[in-house]
Amino acid sequence: MCAKKQISSASGFQDSMMADVVVIDDEESICEGCRQTLEAEGFRAVIAHDGTEGLKLVEQSHPKVVLVDLKMPGISGMEVLANISEYDPSIVTIVITGYGSIDSAVETMKIGASDFLTKPFAPEKLIESVRRGMEVTRPAEEAEVTEQVVRPLEVPEKAPLNKQNVVLKGLEVLGQYYSLGFKERQFFDELRCLESEAKHHADRLGQMKEKGQAVLDIVRDLRRVDSIIQKYAYKKNTLIQILLDVQMEFNWLPRHCLEWVSTRLNIPHTNIYTVASFYEALSLEPRGAHLIQICTGTACHVRGAASLVDRVSSILGIEPGQTDSEQLFTLETVHCLGCCALGPVMVVDGEYYSNPSTKQIQEIAASCKVSSEKGENYAQVELSR
Amino acid sequence: MPRLNSAADLEKFRKDTLAKRDPEKLCVTVCSGTGCHAYGCIGVAESFINEIKSRNLQAKVDVRKTGCHGFCERGTVVIIFPEEICYLHVKPDDVSEIVQKTLIEKGTVDRLLYHDTDGKKIVREGEIPFYKHQNRIIFGNNRFIDPKNIDDYIALGGYSALSKARFEMTQEQVLAEVKEANLRGRGGGGFPAGRKWETTRDAAGEPKYVIVNADEGDPGAYMDRSLLEGNPHSVLEGLLIGAYAIGSHEGYIYVREEYPLALENTKVAIESARQYGLLGENILGSGFDFDVTIHRGAGAFVSGESSALMSAIEGHVGEPRPKYIHTSVKGLWDKPTCLNNVETWANVPFIINKGADWFKSIGTENSKGTKIFSLVGKINNTGLVEVPMGITLRDIVYDIGGGIPNDKKFKAVQTGGPSGGLLPESMLDIHVDFDELTRAGSMMGSGGMIVMDENTCMVDTARYYTEFLAQESCGKCVPCREGLRQMLRILNNITNGEGKEGDIELLEELSEFIQEASLCALGQTAPNPVLSTIKHFRHEYEAHITETRCPAGVCKALISYYIEADDCLGCGLCAKNCPTDAISETEDKIYVIDQEKCIKCGSCLKVCPEKAKAVALQDALYARY
Repeated sequence: MCAKKQISSASGFQDSMMADVVVIDDEESICEGCRQTLEAEGFRAVIAHDGTEGLKLVEQSHPKVVLVDLKMPGISGMEVLANISEYDPSIVTIVITGYGSIDSAVETMKIGASDFLTKPFAPEKLIESVRRGMEVTRPAEEAEVTEQVVRPLEVPEKAPLNKQNVVLKGLEVLGQYYSLGFKERQFFDELRCLESEAKHHADRLGQMKEKGQAVLDIVRDLRRVDSIIQKYAYKKNTLIQILLDVQMEFNWLPRHCLEWVSTRLNIPHTNIYTVASFYEALSLEPRGAHLIQICTGTACHVRGAASLVDRVSSILGIEPGQTDSEQLFTLETVHCLGCCALGPVMVVDGEYYSNPSTKQIQEIAASCKVSSEKGENYAQVELSR
Repeated sequence: MPRLNSAADLEKFRKDTLAKRDPEKLCVTVCSGTGCHAYGCIGVAESFINEIKSRNLQAKVDVRKTGCHGFCERGTVVIIFPEEICYLHVKPDDVSEIVQKTLIEKGTVDRLLYHDTDGKKIVREGEIPFYKHQNRIIFGNNRFIDPKNIDDYIALGGYSALSKARFEMTQEQVLAEVKEANLRGRGGGGFPAGRKWETTRDAAGEPKYVIVNADEGDPGAYMDRSLLEGNPHSVLEGLLIGAYAIGSHEGYIYVREEYPLALENTKVAIESARQYGLLGENILGSGFDFDVTIHRGAGAFVSGESSALMSAIEGHVGEPRPKYIHTSVKGLWDKPTCLNNVETWANVPFIINKGADWFKSIGTENSKGTKIFSLVGKINNTGLVEVPMGITLRDIVYDIGGGIPNDKKFKAVQTGGPSGGLLPESMLDIHVDFDELTRAGSMMGSGGMIVMDENTCMVDTARYYTEFLAQESCGKCVPCREGLRQMLRILNNITNGEGKEGDIELLEELSEFIQEASLCALGQTAPNPVLSTIKHFRHEYEAHITETRCPAGVCKALISYYIEADDCLGCGLCAKNCPTDAISETEDKIYVIDQEKCIKCGSCLKVCPEKAKAVALQDALYARY
């Protein structure tokens, strides 16, 4: 805990100094630029012009993210990083560097920096990087950290609420604000934060007309995801089971739901997408209201499954794996349904058809079109006839 | 729900259950496996319940929805006990007649009985040739048991093997019995289960895990599913006995997501076993704790490989890892893990109850016991068959399977799924066991047996398997990922009529490389279908390459359909059934096919009236024109 020894134990006089981000750079223009950009996005940012001052600020303001310039007079950026990671490993550090050499980048990553920005950088880059950093803090580790590191200033946290629940609640409020017709300029800082959070979960939010409803819909989806994750007690190894249930619930894996799973389980997005794209049962595209499966198991294959696929494809105008533009049908081939005696077999919303004729297929397609409302709950009726 | 706290409790419960049941009471069992579901068995069972209720026969007749009986070709299968009257192809409309004629008047409904080739009717299930030549041990109880009712299983002696193992035998004795029985893994490789158990038990590290592999990915194989659907408790009991011998307290059942009914029945089985004290803490009051969790697979063939399956349970992508150290030493979470297939576990209670000597009396020198095969494809009696090891392929295909439909000629039988090989007619007399099949260039695999007739193209079949494996390759190692892709390209070329001289040799060379260099069994065995078809059906490859001809009339690029003008009746059925409107009427009131629009689906050939037979298949493209 050398950081603690170095920095005189901070007193609680600066409660107002709570901040999300601390920027440490000896160049005034960079500091100011960062602060303005970040504050415009709703983050609370404070600045320091050298390492010593920076470390003091870190201790006083409990930021989630710290931006550090590598080349500074006095304590170097490297030392600052080392001190921060020893002081509180949950703080995310981002390195600002004028010379983006690979070596220095690798070096900084080794001592725990999670990202780096090469000067000069665009404001968007900065915001993106900081926002990613803000996400990293997680419920499990938060608890761990508060136990390990006794902070001079306690973060005022409502006991049963963790960050995710606050976000959900906040998004709901935001949705209601939108619905009431408030203009964005009247927003408080907190609501701005929420809006950026909402935008994060729905990238097209800016273009939507009914923003209020859109946000509320998102919150509703996220709560549905939450109840699934809860069922599995937040265990990381149940990821595949959770994704299967999400797929069952929504008929596909919407992006905001996957983001939420990632936040909740603290599994990086790339890992979630690796799993989601690996398994055939999981779909990253929206699927049609009616699922048409054609078995291409060997028994069905030798009995002419390929020609059945051709016929159905040409009638519906979609290839296997595709969904039509009206999202009415999804055509899938599956490897074996285990009813080989009926082969080649086609299953429409849980109903089995043994080698249907062209006419039959046309009739089935037509009747699906008529009763497209019924498609909602097809997912669980695989076997219910 | 009683909690059974000792061996005596279990025995007493069994006796009480049996005492409550009158063996002479009529019982209608309706097969409710997935195959019969597709035929509409739910409707049949409901009709029985309603009909019996409306005639006030509830006191005299029970209705039971059982697991798969195996005779999927003739679903829905209904058997009426105690006489064992077997009705096939039962539809809900037949129910009232069955109730009247059989349940009330004690006669039979002849049209629903099995009729052999001479037209003679067979009443009893066991006398139907499909069943007569089988030896149903593991699969046999399916027809007596409602899989959702644990009492049915206990009444048949269920869990007595567990009780025997736990109270009358030491861990070592259980292990020795299974080793002595020489039970070999039913999932594919045929590795002795007893040795696997022993390695896991002796490996350092706690806890130890046991896993049921029900990720049955072989297309055309569904016996594990039917076993888990129809008799989940037998698998659970086997697992419990294994766990006791190994010293494990935690297990997993890995079930494919595509098997919703198996999932549901397994869930119910686990729940009721927990309530009865047969699972969980202090099982049967013996101090032995064991519990099991279901893990649903999400559809990836490679996840059936042991290390990939374990990686999936850990929540990662189901990719295999090199197995320099076996999973029985370092498996799930790097702990000793014993993984066996569904059927292997289901064999265990029988071995414990009846002894290794009994088990060894069935089968061949090195392959003991029975094996369940799924007999599918171009065969008259599609279904699941359980036969003793050592039976000939001919017996399975002709005596049990009833031969090839429509008097077509037998061409080959594929065993072992995508990793296996194709066996031609000359090999029909080999005795089916682990070693014989391997020697013949195929393998046992999990028990898929796909029969092919003269209208099946062997090149297309090889291409089909290669495409399947190329899709399912996880991509982790290069030989499998890239090698299969290249093989598929060559095979696609050949089936498209663009094959070149030397393609066959190139395929052979690639095959050898993939076999040698791949990481897991998927890649190592992937070239088998190609190699075995080249070995036995080289002439078909040559016909495709040198004559651009598909002798079986399958490969779309090499065939064409046309209408014989002299035979056409002008009925227009073909035009109505053409999905692409490629068929049109000419001025002479006959029909012609526009070859540009034709997708060669064969619909026209199928619907052309029997008396006309005007639509013909040409095995070379545009040969007629």
